[in-house]
Amino acid sequence: MIGTTLKPFSEILQVLEGSRKVAVVGCDGCAKVCFTGGADEVAAMAARLREQGKDIVFEATPERTCNVVKANPVLEPLQDQIRQADALLVLGCGGAVQITRQLTEQYGLTIPVKAGLNSVGHMDTVIGGTLALEQCQECGDCILNETGGICPVTKCAKGLLNGPCGGAEDGKCEANPLNDCAWILIYKRMSALGELDRLRRFVAPKDYSKAAKPRTLHIKEGRVS
Amino acid sequence: MKLTELFKMGEFVVTSEVGPVKGCCRPGPGAEDPAFLQEAESIRDYVHAVNVTDNQSARMRLGSLAAAVLLKRRGIEPIYQLTCRDRNRLALQSDLLSACSLGIDNVLCLTGDHLRKGDHPTAKAVFDLDSVQLLKIARNLNEGCDMMGQPLTQPTGMALGAVVNPNFQPLDLQLLKMEKKIAQGARFFQTQTVYDPKVFETFINKAASFGVPIQYGIVIIKSPQMARYMNEKISGVSVPLSIIDEMAATPPELYRPKAREITARLLGEIAPMVQGIHFMPMGWSDLIPQLVDPVPGFCRCGAG
Repeated sequence: MIGTTLKPFSEILQVLEGSRKVAVVGCDGCAKVCFTGGADEVAAMAARLREQGKDIVFEATPERTCNVVKANPVLEPLQDQIRQADALLVLGCGGAVQITRQLTEQYGLTIPVKAGLNSVGHMDTVIGGTLALEQCQECGDCILNETGGICPVTKCAKGLLNGPCGGAEDGKCEANPLNDCAWILIYKRMSALGELDRLRRFVAPKDYSKAAKPRTLHIKEGRVS
Repeated sequence: MKLTELFKMGEFVVTSEVGPVKGCCRPGPGAEDPAFLQEAESIRDYVHAVNVTDNQSARMRLGSLAAAVLLKRRGIEPIYQLTCRDRNRLALQSDLLSACSLGIDNVLCLTGDHLRKGDHPTAKAVFDLDSVQLLKIARNLNEGCDMMGQPLTQPTGMALGAVVNPNFQPLDLQLLKMEKKIAQGARFFQTQTVYDPKVFETFINKAASFGVPIQYGIVIIKSPQMARYMNEKISGVSVPLSIIDEMAATPPELYRPKAREITARLLGEIAPMVQGIHFMPMGWSDLIPQLVDPVPGFCRCGAG
């Protein structure tokens, strides 16, 4: 999922300054899992904004706001209400904000679309409702087959490909002692698998052209450009 | 002169380290030498070369290349430290070409401390390459081509060094990386500081078979507070309680001779295991002449 956190309410009020009529659009996908933009959080945000004197034009929570196939059927019937709004506040990831903006433009509406959340990474939930970890950078050149299913590009603070730096202590990362050293994890995993020799091989510098922004995924062709 | 040549000649190679200042270093009338130049000058007869750190501890300083060139101009052999933290592959290769063009003979290739510990924690970390890959591209440049295989008008010709941490657990993982560094071009090693001769012995018993010269690295402990700070804040370093206690039982005005005594004792135990020493004096370079003999008849760069 895409991890999200709620922006400070003071910042949200600041971006909505001058906008009296506000629509709140959440996301029943990732933001719901993060308790930042599901139907409950959208209702709570609407209530807080009302307390601040805002008129809430509507509340909506598409199943996946980052996906036009899911967002459009929810927002298209709301065009008249969107037209009345001074701003849309989206409680979803950066993708959800931009798909919402794109749809309003498609509807011929020029309405400010504001982000109520900060997107904080591609996150994997390890304790439901409690903890998610960033474990993949979507680098376009996966090396998990060489590293025992543990990603050094993401889980090593320095993204080292040929083994650890010298900074780990008690198995913990130099940059953040709350994190395990990814390379010690990889070493232990490869030892257990009897595949340590794979780690002796030189890993060439990464091809970052595969992660050159912004990427386009041609879904039917399975191709990135 | 390349350190590799000294090792080949059987020289016991002594190096030290200075950290460039946070500021510009343009000589002018009445301008005093900055601390790192004064330190380097104070030990010039006692060391073969002086490392110049690269934004050490991720703190922004005068560049290590400029500082290394300033040493070279004074006839003090620099070891130019180059980290992967702040430069992508173009900048690293370009800086290596620049270094060789400016007379640098020795490069120490490092990953670099993480930004989170430095004075610009909001900066974007680069780490485009790791230290093993940096060694490989530096070797490529020595062999006349860049990392994309494109020929150079003139190859570089620098001795390539690397670092290793004998304190690291599991040690075999650190040694695995050390072997990769050797395979990609490292021809001498400087170790992280070690205060337990047994830890060093365990390391050297395995690493000696790699056949690459190793310098024992030692940070001079200046006070019990510093030792405790290192244990708490410097990852990958461990100062034994016995050394902290020994320092703590010393009156502050005698820290300097005590530091000399502790360092001398460690050198006595560990130096016989290695091909050289690398001091990290943390500003107490004046102790070095009390710890090692002058380098006899050493022909320094620019001096003959």
